[in-house]
Amino acid sequence: MTATLTHTPAEQALIDALEGATGWRAQLREATRREGLPTRRHELWKWSDLRRAANDVTAPGRITVTGLDTPITDGARIELCVAATAGASAADAELVIPAGAKVTLIERYSAEAGALANWHLGITLEAGARLDRVIIATDTGDSAFIASAEIVLAPEAHLHQRALDFGGRLSRIETHVTHPGEGAEVDLGGVYLLDQGRHADSTSVVHHTGPGGVTKQLVKGAAAAKGHGVFQGKFMVDRAAQQTDARMTHRAMMLDDRAEIDAKPELEIYADDVQCAHGNALGALDETALFYMRQRGIPAVRARALLIESFLAEPLDAIADETLREDLKAQLRTRLEALS
Amino acid sequence: MLNIENLHCQVETQEGEEKPILKGLSLNVPAGEVHAIMGPNGSGKSTLSYVLTGRDGYEVTQGSMVFEGADLSELEPEERAAAGLYLSFQYPVEIPGVPTITFLKEALNAQRTARGEDEVTAPEFMKLIREKAKQLGVSMDMLKRPVNVGFSGGEKKRMEILQALVLEPKFMILDETDSGLDIDALKTVSEGVNALRAPERGMLVITHYQRLLDHITPDVVHIMANGKIVKSGGPELAKELEAEGYDKYLGEAA
Repeated sequence: MTATLTHTPAEQALIDALEGATGWRAQLREATRREGLPTRRHELWKWSDLRRAANDVTAPGRITVTGLDTPITDGARIELCVAATAGASAADAELVIPAGAKVTLIERYSAEAGALANWHLGITLEAGARLDRVIIATDTGDSAFIASAEIVLAPEAHLHQRALDFGGRLSRIETHVTHPGEGAEVDLGGVYLLDQGRHADSTSVVHHTGPGGVTKQLVKGAAAAKGHGVFQGKFMVDRAAQQTDARMTHRAMMLDDRAEIDAKPELEIYADDVQCAHGNALGALDETALFYMRQRGIPAVRARALLIESFLAEPLDAIADETLREDLKAQLRTRLEALS
Repeated sequence: MLNIENLHCQVETQEGEEKPILKGLSLNVPAGEVHAIMGPNGSGKSTLSYVLTGRDGYEVTQGSMVFEGADLSELEPEERAAAGLYLSFQYPVEIPGVPTITFLKEALNAQRTARGEDEVTAPEFMKLIREKAKQLGVSMDMLKRPVNVGFSGGEKKRMEILQALVLEPKFMILDETDSGLDIDALKTVSEGVNALRAPERGMLVITHYQRLLDHITPDVVHIMANGKIVKSGGPELAKELEAEGYDKYLGEAA
């Protein structure tokens, strides 16, 4: 017996928007039709209530993706702009990084107020490929923007991912990685900085399926009053994935007592000869350092910004492309100075 | 230059209670003079340095502190700094991720802007800091490192003095600058401080031991006990303390 689900206007709009869709978008349509949008009752969404975040969405919208025509060859720099209008929409794409190729992928997300945007990438890294993926989710302010990726690595492939997220009504960057070990390496990093009322969710699962895999993850965040940060990180290590070396760290700063940060670092390990660790630390701004800077004449607002910037910038320092790195750090700085 | 009258200050303890620390302290330091404050642990020496510079949690309950005619209690910490008040910290704070050079340039220009002066340009600043670093034997390599991160106790104190040389404050408070210094570092730091002695600059040297005062000769020595000054005199007072200890003053203050 199945109970009939009454769809919210947002759910109905998404279902309508995906009429006749195929592939991943058809799956999304079916899942939405059957279960509705995820709420806190879903374990994987317990801190990010998408149904609520999309409660003002009533009509289908449109999502456009530019840059997908760039040939994926060695040395390629692919710049995708994913832009959503108000209303419910979804788009997806498949990328294959050829064996031995070194590719940079930049994704810039933007959304109008009142958007419920779903963006999905399926990425395959062939043997020895290297992908530097940089996600810039700095312009999704008053929308619900869900970006997910399913990334499968071949042996000797390297995935290096960095995300900068200023949050939205709900911004979620979800990354699922299949890691075969055998010389493959994964480095996932991210930064979120949340002003009042913003919500950012970093969710990732790295599934180690073969021996000797190396995985690093460093996510740092800061939330102002009524900002809400979510970190869910999971490392799974199969019995076959002996000698996996996987380290996960999430560190966040609450800039106000009324900020909320929820973190769930998880290890699920079935192999017995592995090195896996996770660390999670929440703190506040160092008041002693703040006084020290002010004693030297730096105004309080500027001193705060400098301290937060120096705390947050670490994951971004590992972006190989200098122009990109400096661009992201500049965006972070500008944002910090505007922080309420 | 610095006039403190009957200053009472209380500090919030970790348990959230208000504890009176300064209990009617009066002190006048004219421009051009170096005054030393000596006293046993717990007499309120560090509290004095923090209340003068405006640290949160140090509350003035009575009395006044006036710097060049301005009521310090009305000013934010950064305004006091721009007015020319400088504290060399007993425990200089580490700031990971902020290179010392960036920090100092930021501080200097913030102070200059607050005073209505033009900012120094990057080349001007580099010239200035090179010159001052050389004076104190600090390498440029060290200045590129984050503020105080991984520095030894002596290096941190040296950096405090270097910052003073760059910022050129009107008034310096040196809080236990000699602690953690070996004899060579003590000499270098003292030379830096002495280079800053000037007719238009005042200094307050807070110390537990007489050792530092062998290198920085004060004009006046004050003995502090239980939150106030209990005796003032010339440099010979420091020598007397070294020989006889603080015991007799602890009795007087109680």
